[in-house]
Parts: sequence; C-alpha cells; structure tokens
Amino acid sequence: MAMTRIISLSIESRPECIELLSRALHGLCSLLRLPAEELAKVELAMVEAVNNVVEHAYGFEPAHRVWVEFELTPERFGLRVSDRGQAMPPERLASARGFADPDPADPDTWTLRTRGLEIIKACMDEVEYQVRDGVNTLSMSRTLAGAAARQSA
Amino acid sequence: MVLTHRNVEGIDIIALAGRLVMADVPQVRQKLLTTVEQGSGKLVLDLADVGFMDSSGLSVLISVFKATRLKNGDVALLNLSPTVRSLIELTRLQQVFSIFDDEAAALARLR
Repeated sequence: MAMTRIISLSIESRPECIELLSRALHGLCSLLRLPAEELAKVELAMVEAVNNVVEHAYGFEPAHRVWVEFELTPERFGLRVSDRGQAMPPERLASARGFADPDPADPDTWTLRTRGLEIIKACMDEVEYQVRDGVNTLSMSRTLAGAAARQSA
Repeated sequence: MVLTHRNVEGIDIIALAGRLVMADVPQVRQKLLTTVEQGSGKLVLDLADVGFMDSSGLSVLISVFKATRLKNGDVALLNLSPTVRSLIELTRLQQVFSIFDDEAAALARLR
C-alpha cells in the first residue's frame, strides 16, 4: 500500500518569496512524475492561494509567515495554505462560482480582481476553508489522472 | 522578468521572459504602460518565454489593453505557452484578447 508523504514549508509574506514554493513544488512533482498539465494546475492554485494570503490576509505586510503543506499520494495531490492574518469572509468561498463571459466592448467585465478563488476552484477538485485558533487554512486537493498516479521507483 | 523592446513600423513589440507573477507586477506594468503612453498605442506582447503567469500577471495585460484602447490602439498577444493559454481560456479572456502564433499576423492585425 502506497504511503502518504507530507512536507511542510513556510515563507515570509512577501511576493518575492512565493517563487520558492513554486521551485519546491516542481521538485515534488518531478518525484511524482506528474504530467506538465497537472503540475500547471496545482502550481496555479498554490500561487493564487498564497497571493491571497499575502494581499488580503496580511495586506502586503512583510515579516509574517505563510505555511504550505503538501500531501502526496499516488492518487491525489493535497495542499494546505495557512496564515495568521485577516480571515476571509466565510461566504466568500461559496460565492466563487466561476467566470462569466467577458464583454469585449465593456472593459468593466474584464476584471480579475479577487478572482483567485475562482481560479483555485477550477484547478482543484476539492477546496475548503477553515478558521481555527486564529489560523486560517485553505485546503485543496486534486485527484491525479491515471497516468500520473504512480510513484517514483 | 526580462523585457525586450523593439519597434516595427510604429508598432511596439515587447518580448517578456520569465514568470509574470505578483512580485513582477509593479515593474512590468510600469514598463508596458510607459511604452503605450510614449508610443502609438499599438503593441505586440510576445509571451513565448513566459512559462508561468498568475492572475496578477494577467491583470497587467488587461491594464495594458485598456490603456491602448484609450489611445485608439490595440494589443496582440503572441506565442502563448500552454500554461499561459490555459489561464487565459480558464478566465475566458480569449474572447477579449487577440491571440496569434505568428508575428506577421499579429502585426497585420495592428496595422
């Protein structure tokens, strides 16, 4: 039976630090032999989640911590992004329902502001948000396509 | 992120290389908006070497597109990587942007 493997990392709440998480994710995904299209979706979800923490939870204040936990199994890729900043309104996740068609003639419909959650929900199969003891955690998981569900030798 | 600028018959062409993410947004937005402001408002963005973009990076492209419209210009996106194309299609903005795989076709669109 395949073992679940978990790795936890943390960065300072600065945009410049987010690439460090992407570099780590690429390394983990090469271990899993994850296809490029799967990696792209997981990376986009992770970056959007951490962007949200840096911008909304910490208001671009540096010197706070963002924790990211990766949970790897042959069948699924799990991510937990946690912070101790401003919590997201509880209704926000449920109200993220995808993208409407933009009107090429109406620039007001082209906005992407606060759409990170929509992108995350499009990239991951399960997304949950929890606030407990002052820690906000966005948990996400993606079931891996059959060809990806194998471990390295 | 590295930006390389040239001009062909009054049309600005900027090639971006690297990751277009939150950390790069201030620098890239300023450079692109300055180019639009000082140029004809017609701009080709060559994204062949942009391997990853997040929503904040995509917001920069939207800002630049709006700025060109204010000058009666336009933007053409050139050579999207699969990852960048996927983000644009996910957000349905392929309905707004003009997207090309060939520079000559992009220039023809803007002439």
